[in-house]
Amino acid sequence: MLWLVSLVPIVAGALIATLGARSRTSLGVLAGGVVSVTLILTVLAVVQGWSATLTWSDAIRLTAALTPLSAALAVTVPVIALAVISHATQHEARQGLARLTGLMIVFAGGMQLVVIANDLLTLLIGWELIGACSWALISHKWTDKENPQSGLYAFVMTRFGDLGLFVAAMALFAGTGSFDYASIATLSGPWQGLVAYGILLSAASKAGQVPFAPWLFRAMAGPTSVSALLHAATLVAAGAYIIARLEPFLSVVPGWQAVTIAIGLTTALAGGLTAVLQNHSKRLLAASTSAQLGFMFIAVGAGYPGVAILHLMLHATFKAPLFLIAGAAHDATGSYRLDRMRLGRVMPLIAGLAVIAAASLAGLPLTGGGWSKEEIVRAAEHTSFWLAFSVMIGGGLSAVYATRFALLAFGRSHKEGRDIPAPGWKETVGIASLVTLTLAASLLWVSPAATVLANALGATLPEGTMAGLVISMIWLAAGLVTGFYLAHQSPALGRTGASAAASDWLGLPTLIDRGVVQPVDALARAAAQADDRLLDAGLNATAAFADALSQLADRFGEAASDGLPEGTANIFGLLGRDSRRLQTGLSHHYYAYIIGGIFVVAAILAAGA
Amino acid sequence: MLTLAILIPMLGALALLVSPRLGHQAARAVAVGASVVSFALLLIVWIGFDTAPSAPDFQFLAEVPWIPSLGIAWRVGVDGMSLALSLMSGVLFIASISWPMENPERPVSYYAWFLFLESVSLGLFLVLDLLLFYAFFDLSLVGMFFLIGRWGHDGAQRAALKFFIYTLAGSLAILLAIIGLVLSMAPITFDMRSLIAAQPLAGYDFQGGLILLGFMVGFAIKTPLFPVHTWLPPAHVKAPGPVSAILAGVLLKMGTYGMIRIPLQMMRESFAAYALPIALFALASILWGAIVALGQTNLKRRIAYTSVNHMGYTVLGIATAGASLAGVEKAQSLALTGAVVEMVAHGLITGALFLIAGGIWARSQTYELDAFGGLAKVAPKLTVAAVIAAFASLGLPGLAGFVAEVQIFVGTFAVFPVIAAIGLLGILITAALFLRLLQQVFFGDLPSARAGFPDLSRRESVVLSVLLALVVVIGIYPRWLLDLIGSATRAIVGG
Repeated sequence: MLWLVSLVPIVAGALIATLGARSRTSLGVLAGGVVSVTLILTVLAVVQGWSATLTWSDAIRLTAALTPLSAALAVTVPVIALAVISHATQHEARQGLARLTGLMIVFAGGMQLVVIANDLLTLLIGWELIGACSWALISHKWTDKENPQSGLYAFVMTRFGDLGLFVAAMALFAGTGSFDYASIATLSGPWQGLVAYGILLSAASKAGQVPFAPWLFRAMAGPTSVSALLHAATLVAAGAYIIARLEPFLSVVPGWQAVTIAIGLTTALAGGLTAVLQNHSKRLLAASTSAQLGFMFIAVGAGYPGVAILHLMLHATFKAPLFLIAGAAHDATGSYRLDRMRLGRVMPLIAGLAVIAAASLAGLPLTGGGWSKEEIVRAAEHTSFWLAFSVMIGGGLSAVYATRFALLAFGRSHKEGRDIPAPGWKETVGIASLVTLTLAASLLWVSPAATVLANALGATLPEGTMAGLVISMIWLAAGLVTGFYLAHQSPALGRTGASAAASDWLGLPTLIDRGVVQPVDALARAAAQADDRLLDAGLNATAAFADALSQLADRFGEAASDGLPEGTANIFGLLGRDSRRLQTGLSHHYYAYIIGGIFVVAAILAAGA
Repeated sequence: MLTLAILIPMLGALALLVSPRLGHQAARAVAVGASVVSFALLLIVWIGFDTAPSAPDFQFLAEVPWIPSLGIAWRVGVDGMSLALSLMSGVLFIASISWPMENPERPVSYYAWFLFLESVSLGLFLVLDLLLFYAFFDLSLVGMFFLIGRWGHDGAQRAALKFFIYTLAGSLAILLAIIGLVLSMAPITFDMRSLIAAQPLAGYDFQGGLILLGFMVGFAIKTPLFPVHTWLPPAHVKAPGPVSAILAGVLLKMGTYGMIRIPLQMMRESFAAYALPIALFALASILWGAIVALGQTNLKRRIAYTSVNHMGYTVLGIATAGASLAGVEKAQSLALTGAVVEMVAHGLITGALFLIAGGIWARSQTYELDAFGGLAKVAPKLTVAAVIAAFASLGLPGLAGFVAEVQIFVGTFAVFPVIAAIGLLGILITAALFLRLLQQVFFGDLPSARAGFPDLSRRESVVLSVLLALVVVIGIYPRWLLDLIGSATRAIVGG
């Protein structure tokens, strides 16, 4: 039964994708209906504790089940998807809209499979499905060759990470004869290490962590609704989800926690810096996603997977609307350039929603995002003060880029009389409903609400110190001030010069291009040539040798041809008519080849006997 | 029943041969009819096939003595592996015969050769006598030689000749090895089941090694494995699409099927001694096939090289199954099941890809990737089919290739962990090369020369839908196939 949670959206989405041109309303109703049904099924599954098994063979069984953590995410995914996909049906270009809508629903269904998976093989299936969906969605506007190229980049980069999951599944099976999550606990020695680090590798690549982060920039080639879904509730979220889900099994592996923290911290700081420097609104948000996911990695590494999932859910509520808002701003100005926006007066409602969501991204007190960020700071305090201090710096960077985004995109323009229409209510309602969720999350600052939610997830909330909170607030304030300063003094930061170069993930994509992509391409071309010239040359030389041999053999032709396999000879006789038509003048050659070949083989045999 | 399944296509071929004045439509109807009847017979066999562990390994046996003094007889029978392969071949032959001729000349003899090839291909999988196996092995070359040479395009004769000579050299090595193997039996017999039971070369290290070498060289050429694969790309490029589909889908499987049936099953001890080098050749094929495919600028050559890569996975699974390592029978059985599933999956997927490539040639007379772009605009159905087939070939879960590859890798990892881990790079490169292919052919701007490019016809759509539907069904719910194949691999590995 639990399969339905994933199967319904996948099948229905695939059908919707093939519908062809349909009106926005009918697509909106269809998509809303399918995702709502998915949500209802998910809630039913959680309440009634569904699980599922599909037997492939004696050795392979696919299983699905929900834990409190996965149940929380399983409900979050359709909630976010409902708002985002409905928005897409009202907002995105008419061309190929049915395909886009359908594939987004399949995407959400694939994510549900990742969430409900209870063994590594089922996980791998969902994991790769969402990767393939992301390819199709990023390539959506395929007439521009750039987009499929970006889709390819994203898919291959994340598939490299998928290899980690392959290794993990292989090692788990080799060690235990099963793929079940539960059997990870029974592993020991090198198998255990392979499973733990393999999963970490694929999680890091999906979650856009260093060094895989650049694919998230390339993913920006997709429509903004796709970005909203991809960053909030699906592809990227899968990376943080899986290490949180499996943390109890993996954290016992030597060094695993430290490596997880190191990846998360590096990404949080580098991503934060990249976002601060970006002038492209979507890329700013994309870099911030990497940074926020870095916080989640830190929480998992510190031993608080529940906190990581809480931040994941809250992050979804504010990151999805921010992307949709960036899309609206793009439509109004025709570009993603932050230094050209300042749309505060033009679309005041959207601006207000943007400020609320950005406040949560900045981690201000009394916002949902601020609450879960402070929880992560506290979790880090349990590992070491300096880790907590570094997270606080990351929090300060969040404040800088969130402030910059809000001010540059929706500050007041000094230009008068701009004739830009604000988005209609159909394009606002999805954004507004997501922001309402963000606002509702503010309740978490009231302690009973937080305790209730934590208990529902089975999560432990870390205790923190007052000193930690104070220092964190100081960094936050410093970040806000810096953000104000940058927005006013250098609005075009990241557009040209050194800051522009650094804003492209601090040069990481160039490194990957020169260090991996170009060498592999060169190797492929060289191998293709070698295959044609060297290997085939060897063959042609052999043929020439056989030719020479056959000249010799011609003299003993009669005697040798007796050695021909009888069947072959007969066939040639029978097919003489056809072969003459085909090979006039060549037939004697291949007789000669065969005879030559026989001699060679006979010689080998004589040597061996 | 099995004998009839072999004979009916042959009779169809003869019928076409004696009625050269038949029209194109009628000739095709006869060919489709004969292959459908033959397939229906195989379906009946499948329904009656017992996959329970207690059931005999080979079923639907029939034997007619032929040369008793040499132990040669017309022996047919199937286990789960050969039944699965012959069913797949049956589907692929129906599909290829139904597909429009690329070059509609001499249709009667074209369809006659196709039926001839179907008969000998099914014969190869269904017979249980080594001499007949060898005869069918060689006859399949003959059928393919004429199909490529006569209905291929520019320079096809040279490619066909290269294919013929190369694989014939391989089959001579196999003949010598067969003779060596059979002579070690007393009394002499070509009966496969007796040979499997007797393991005649156990304990003979040197002869065993030499005979194994003969078999492996011959089958490696047919499969083909690196470095004896260079006949494959020219043969594919010059062959018409439906012929390529059969070449990749059915003929290549004869190599890997032979490897399992003869060296692995009849010479377990010798095979185990050389399992590691065989696995290394498989690994080289996986990586070389993938990287060379990535470097191709010709649509069909690119697909052709991925066959080298995919057959590398298959041989890796076979090598794993043949290794002598105690306590990993479950993993070995998994790897061998994966290898056989890969044969079925590759047949369907690459068959579909080559039919698509043939369709593209028929509409444009070129395979150069640079000559295309933006076909999604004019041929959306073709695009969807190509995307599904490409993703299936790069091993996307939910499609058949994944079911095969995940079992091969997981099984292999328990035996050759390092080789399996390195081999994984193959699936990464194939992802890149197929996505790039899709991007170059179907996306971006439509060149003006392709403005009138027609989409799939109804006939083509039906054929591709059937093949790809099977790919999806196997990918999602493969139990029916795994039960069938598993019944054979359990018996072979003993896991």
